[in-house]
Amino acid sequence: MKGWRGSRQGGDSASSPVAVERSLTSSSSIRLGRVQPQAPGHRTVFCNDRDANHLAKYKGNAVSTTKYNVITFLPKGLYEQFRRVANLYFLTISCLSFTPVSPVSPITNVIPLSLVLFVSLVKEAFEDWKRLQNDMTINNSCVDVLQEQRWESIPWKKLQVGDIVRVKQDGFFPADLLLLASTNPDGVCYTETANLDGETNLKIRKALEKTWDYVAPEKASEFKGEIQCEQPNNSLYTFTGNLILQKQTIPIGPNQILLRGCNLRNTEYIVGAVIFTGHETKVMMNAMNVPSKRSTLERKLDKVIATLFGVLLCMCLIGAIGSAVFVNKKYHYLELWISGDSQQFNPRNRFVVFVLSIFTLITLYSPIIPISLYVSIEMIKFIQSTKFINNDLHMYHSETNTPALARTSNLNEELGQVEYIFSDKTGTLTRNLMEFFKCSIGGETYGTGVTEIEMGAARRNGLNIKEKTASNTAREKGFNFDDARLMHGAWRNEPNPDMCKEFFRCLAICHTVLPEGEETPEKLRYQAASPDEAALVTAAKNFGFFFYRRTPTMIYVRESHVEKIGKVQDVTYEILNVLEFNSTRKRQSVVCRYGDGRLVLYCKGADTVIYERLASGNDELKKISREQLEQYGEAGLRTLCLAYRNLSPETYESWNEKFIQAKSSLRDRERKLDEVAELIEKDLTLIGCTAIEDKLQEGVPSCIETLSRAGIKIWVLTGDKLETAINIAYACKLINNDMKQFVISSETDAIREVESRGDQVEIAQFIRETVKNELQKCHEEAQHIVHGSTGQKLSLLIDGKCLMYALDPNLRSTLLSLSLSCSSVVCCRVSPLQKAQVTRLVRKGANKITLSIGDGANDVGMIQAAHVGVGISGMEGMQAVMASDFAIAQFRFLTDLLLVHGRWSYLRLCKVVSYFFYKNLTFTLTQFWYTFQTGYSGQRFYDDWFQSLYNVIFTALPVIIVGLLDKDVNASLSKKYPQLYKQGIDNAFFNWKVVGTLACFSVYQSVIVYNFAIASSTTGLTSAGKILGVWDISTAAFTCLVITVNLRLLMMCNTVTRWHSISVGGSILAWFIFIFIYSLVFVNKGTYFTIYVLMSTAYLYLLAILVPIVALLGDFLYQGAQRWFYPYDYQIVQEIHRHEPESIGAGLLEVGNQLTPEEERRYAFALLPRERSKHTGFAFDSPGYESFFATQQGVSAPQKPWDVIRRASMKPKSKSPRTSRH
Amino acid sequence: MDQKNKNSKKPVYSKFSQQELPAWKPILTPGWVIASYITIGALFIPIGLLAWTASDSVVEIVDRYDEACVPDDFSKNPQSYIQNPNIKKTCTRSIKVPKKLVAPIFVYYQLENFYQNHRRFVKSRSDKQLRDVKAENDTKFCLPIAYDYDNKPIVPCGLIAWSLFNDTYKISTRGKDISIEKKGIAWKSDAKAKFGSNVYPKNFQKDGLIGGATLDESIPLSEQEDLMVWMRTAALPTFRKLYGKINTDIEAHDTIKVEIQNNYNTYKFGGRKKLVLSTTTWIGGKNDFVGMAYISVGGICLFMAINFILLYVFRPRRLGDPSYLSWNRHPIT
Repeated sequence: MKGWRGSRQGGDSASSPVAVERSLTSSSSIRLGRVQPQAPGHRTVFCNDRDANHLAKYKGNAVSTTKYNVITFLPKGLYEQFRRVANLYFLTISCLSFTPVSPVSPITNVIPLSLVLFVSLVKEAFEDWKRLQNDMTINNSCVDVLQEQRWESIPWKKLQVGDIVRVKQDGFFPADLLLLASTNPDGVCYTETANLDGETNLKIRKALEKTWDYVAPEKASEFKGEIQCEQPNNSLYTFTGNLILQKQTIPIGPNQILLRGCNLRNTEYIVGAVIFTGHETKVMMNAMNVPSKRSTLERKLDKVIATLFGVLLCMCLIGAIGSAVFVNKKYHYLELWISGDSQQFNPRNRFVVFVLSIFTLITLYSPIIPISLYVSIEMIKFIQSTKFINNDLHMYHSETNTPALARTSNLNEELGQVEYIFSDKTGTLTRNLMEFFKCSIGGETYGTGVTEIEMGAARRNGLNIKEKTASNTAREKGFNFDDARLMHGAWRNEPNPDMCKEFFRCLAICHTVLPEGEETPEKLRYQAASPDEAALVTAAKNFGFFFYRRTPTMIYVRESHVEKIGKVQDVTYEILNVLEFNSTRKRQSVVCRYGDGRLVLYCKGADTVIYERLASGNDELKKISREQLEQYGEAGLRTLCLAYRNLSPETYESWNEKFIQAKSSLRDRERKLDEVAELIEKDLTLIGCTAIEDKLQEGVPSCIETLSRAGIKIWVLTGDKLETAINIAYACKLINNDMKQFVISSETDAIREVESRGDQVEIAQFIRETVKNELQKCHEEAQHIVHGSTGQKLSLLIDGKCLMYALDPNLRSTLLSLSLSCSSVVCCRVSPLQKAQVTRLVRKGANKITLSIGDGANDVGMIQAAHVGVGISGMEGMQAVMASDFAIAQFRFLTDLLLVHGRWSYLRLCKVVSYFFYKNLTFTLTQFWYTFQTGYSGQRFYDDWFQSLYNVIFTALPVIIVGLLDKDVNASLSKKYPQLYKQGIDNAFFNWKVVGTLACFSVYQSVIVYNFAIASSTTGLTSAGKILGVWDISTAAFTCLVITVNLRLLMMCNTVTRWHSISVGGSILAWFIFIFIYSLVFVNKGTYFTIYVLMSTAYLYLLAILVPIVALLGDFLYQGAQRWFYPYDYQIVQEIHRHEPESIGAGLLEVGNQLTPEEERRYAFALLPRERSKHTGFAFDSPGYESFFATQQGVSAPQKPWDVIRRASMKPKSKSPRTSRH
Repeated sequence: MDQKNKNSKKPVYSKFSQQELPAWKPILTPGWVIASYITIGALFIPIGLLAWTASDSVVEIVDRYDEACVPDDFSKNPQSYIQNPNIKKTCTRSIKVPKKLVAPIFVYYQLENFYQNHRRFVKSRSDKQLRDVKAENDTKFCLPIAYDYDNKPIVPCGLIAWSLFNDTYKISTRGKDISIEKKGIAWKSDAKAKFGSNVYPKNFQKDGLIGGATLDESIPLSEQEDLMVWMRTAALPTFRKLYGKINTDIEAHDTIKVEIQNNYNTYKFGGRKKLVLSTTTWIGGKNDFVGMAYISVGGICLFMAINFILLYVFRPRRLGDPSYLSWNRHPIT
């Protein structure tokens, strides 16, 4: 954490809460990795002079992200493998088996270990090969380099420091470059840094004036500059250096640097000099070592393995004690008194016997720890993620052409146990697409649209609202309004045409939007601080009030139909003052002068603040409007009230003096401006109100409802304001009016009052006290409700400032316990750091499985902090996706990801793990029972090869098939009964009870297998009177064992496909084939010919039928009784739907891709390039909004509307970076 | 499916990747449970009866002779008797035949508390040496019985061969000797492949340490059937080994006289020696266990079937009853 805070420039003392607050919000500009201390000294680059640079021996531009090369592959790969405890264990056992204490020959352990290592290494090699290919593509992509006054295309890897390169439009920068010249005037170029920080808005880079001319190759070849700059480092936003050109030293900063990994936009080409190459580029030095996450199931598995190891030690101890007691000189035929080859059976030194026996027995019982478990799990998960998750057509988003992507295969089963989802709002739940949806003018409501929320509510009430077919009205992004009464000048016939006119003018004039591009309604684009504003101006345009140009003092509007229908005229309004928006004012005003001298103040803002400032009278209109506002709010729309006030010149002049005074004051300017604004923003006349729909992503409400039925609790963490967050929470069905809501907000009068006094220490103390009291109060109340019988659901709303105090160690537990008793929690105005903190709080504090989902760079922290991180792909930058474990295109795909894939993976892996555990325990126990009858000598029961192939051949494949194909109920039922997911949350299928039950069955089965084989053979003869030896009996016992464990697997299956039968049958067959060959070939083995003799006895057949059935009878009884008396939910669902045929996939698939025209339209808009304003509030607030430049320049103040206007005045009209395409 | 352009990342449909492979979805319904139990019961009881009758028809005579063959004056200290080479070890036992023994009758010796499966014992052999005359020196695992005092390799080496059983039996009934055939008592595979026809015993049972039986050095190992039988290591400390075959019937109520050379020292470790005469049937020797196991398992299954039927009648559970779903039992509050 310290790095985050410390990285801000100092000034305020760190203890001051404001400083902390600011540093928290400022961290929205995410740093990749930690900034490393810079190497001392500097580097000097001679541009355009390869020979001079050669001396410095800079690294080449080739990059390699591979882990191994041909030489290091084996040692390094093996080292990686042996870092796993299990592999190390087996290595130790293998070494032990080379010593005389070993009862088994080395092959017993070496073969499985080598196989496991081989498979793992092949996987590593394959992955590294893919990385190598990727590197090669990058290294071999070409770039133009200046050679002999010409541009020569050479591969990236040949690029050297000091080269002059040309990068064309949309091309990637091959290395870190110093921007020399651009085809744009003023040496400006635009870059997209999505690969670095995930932001898709364009950033401007500007070349030094001195170098603007080096565009053409002939000119550029004359360039002989010397760059002195810092050593390579990983700080993306800093750069210091000097360019020495013609004996002049010009400082260069980050503004002239083009980073590798970014690409060029809206610029024909640029010319740059290479400064850092290859691994020394900033992006490569930032290459994140994403900490690999392990799933909870695997960690649990480790505990089981540790327990098994404990059991192993106990078994060894018992055996070793037995051995020490047993050895006795009386067994003369054992020649124990002759110490011979070892001390192992020397009765004179029983302690040595004991110690050596422990080693013997560990080697003998080593298969109790399933060697192939980890590699099998890895294979299963790998196939699950690459074949199932990545290929799921249900999770393919055709509009953005994005399939789901499992970026790690470690966490598949973790998806089946998620209890808490932390979701970002913008871009995840909503599309960050504001559409003008409805409005009310003079008490008359317009707009025929029906929101998704309304439809959902109607559907719940049993009404069937047919979506109105989209009319042919020209609609565009930001404008989803349809009402013939207002369009095309029809408003003139409405009862209140003057009011309409005011309404439209207010929309067209009162804003801080910048028009960009050609001044026609079709081509012009609006640049706004928030999409709400753009939507409002777009609405005005559609109503015939087309705002097309702005100068610092004027607004140009092309008005239609004002005089009469069809007439178009250009009108200018002089903007006298702009009273900008901020979160305390919650309104924005513009004072303007009409051409005819009329002075008007237009104001728009939140209903509460506008209503306070309305002139008295006209209560009827206020009442009607208020009702309409409430309706809009219920429908999930974002509302604004519009009002105006006519000003007399005298009033205005006197006020303007105060305003200018305030504006020029040096201290407390903002507060003074606010106060002055109060003076004129009064006696307003209400015009009407607007309702903007914050478009939810498709299917979000139903997805959230499904997930919450599955027992998953969803928290929304957003940078938005409280009101906006509540609004969205309602829209997403996270909160409803039946819930008890706890609101802990810092926006109370009391806090505001203290804040206005400005004493930081006092503010901090006061807020802390308030938060503490509030928390405790809420907590008590929550406890009361939870223990009561009302069954009321709770929800908590808390804002970032309060959260900061609530996360204090003293209050943390209260916060946690309060929030855990709530079914939904909304945290608003939180910084990226706080998002991560909240995630960590639940993860660590409540020990629950968490999932974070988000789309932007500000979500990276929480994505990495959660057990499972999900990134929204296909729309935004890559930052969130790069940090995530799974990437999906839409929030709603979470249903499939969790309820289908996650749940199945969990079920499957539980089965796989418990089966492995079972089969190896059973095997080893038969061995253990035998120890008691061999004088505890550690004599093996089975042949070496039986033991070594047991894990890797005779029981390997079926369990993998089950891990891939088993499913309790099919995908559609999984989603139809989301409650089935709860068993994953409760970890019902892999807990100590399950393990214990399995262990009991293991003991039972091993006793049956061993004793039946033994008991029926002691006097069992062949009919030719011959007696069976140990190897004959063990072969028979092993046959029974293989059959039993394989059939046992079939009993665990919910579904039996062809592959199940093939693999189970195949495994049993493999055993027979093996033994037929083996017992024929190896004459020196005890097993020579055994199977042929056994096959000639009735004994084998009787046993092979009897033993598996008796052994499995216990399981059968258990399963039958369990299903009868304590059925699992999935079993009931299976029964309910037992007669339904497996749904035919193709038909189901079409559903996802059939779009209504309305949906198609929505997608079309979703694909349009969007305004990038992450935090759009109630109206057009941008709390914590910081532009890339602000961060870069070390300016932490949010961008102000007047900045926008100033920029407007500076920028030539035709040069808009967005639209210009040269 | 209009995604025909090549850039489409749309996954290709396959039943496998969409996890829609056709599958049989068995549900363990009460019907299935009951039917399975009845089937198992119905199959197992007849098999069990068959096996049991077969086993029952086997006539088996077991006679423990280790204690009885120790003269009374040595009964306190049988070791001094068995280790004294000067005392005659012959001992005669009379055994009543309860039922007619139909040829072939198999003669076994049974040792108890003899750990032929002890790890030290099991591994103390050289299969290579037994098979191949050239591998004479392959005595790696045979210690301590690998070389004689002249450091020549012992063939067959190792503890197992060295401790070869050396009691002998002579059987007569009604005063007539009954010949015990010693040919064909070993596994054919052993004689053929595991014991070489050109390997002759060498330096065996020489010098000091007295083991068990000696071997005729003129007969190749592939014909030393006693050795082969002995070297087929037993699984348990109590085991039988085939001694020979009798090819004549022995009538019921006859008395058999057995003349035993009681050489093998089991007294030291408290072992027991028994002589066994047994006939065989298709199932092998006398083995009640298999039959009884089948019968009892079948019985248990029928019993379970009845229980489940009763359950089904008195406490039925409707299949797919939604009220059993956990969220219907305890609605989520």
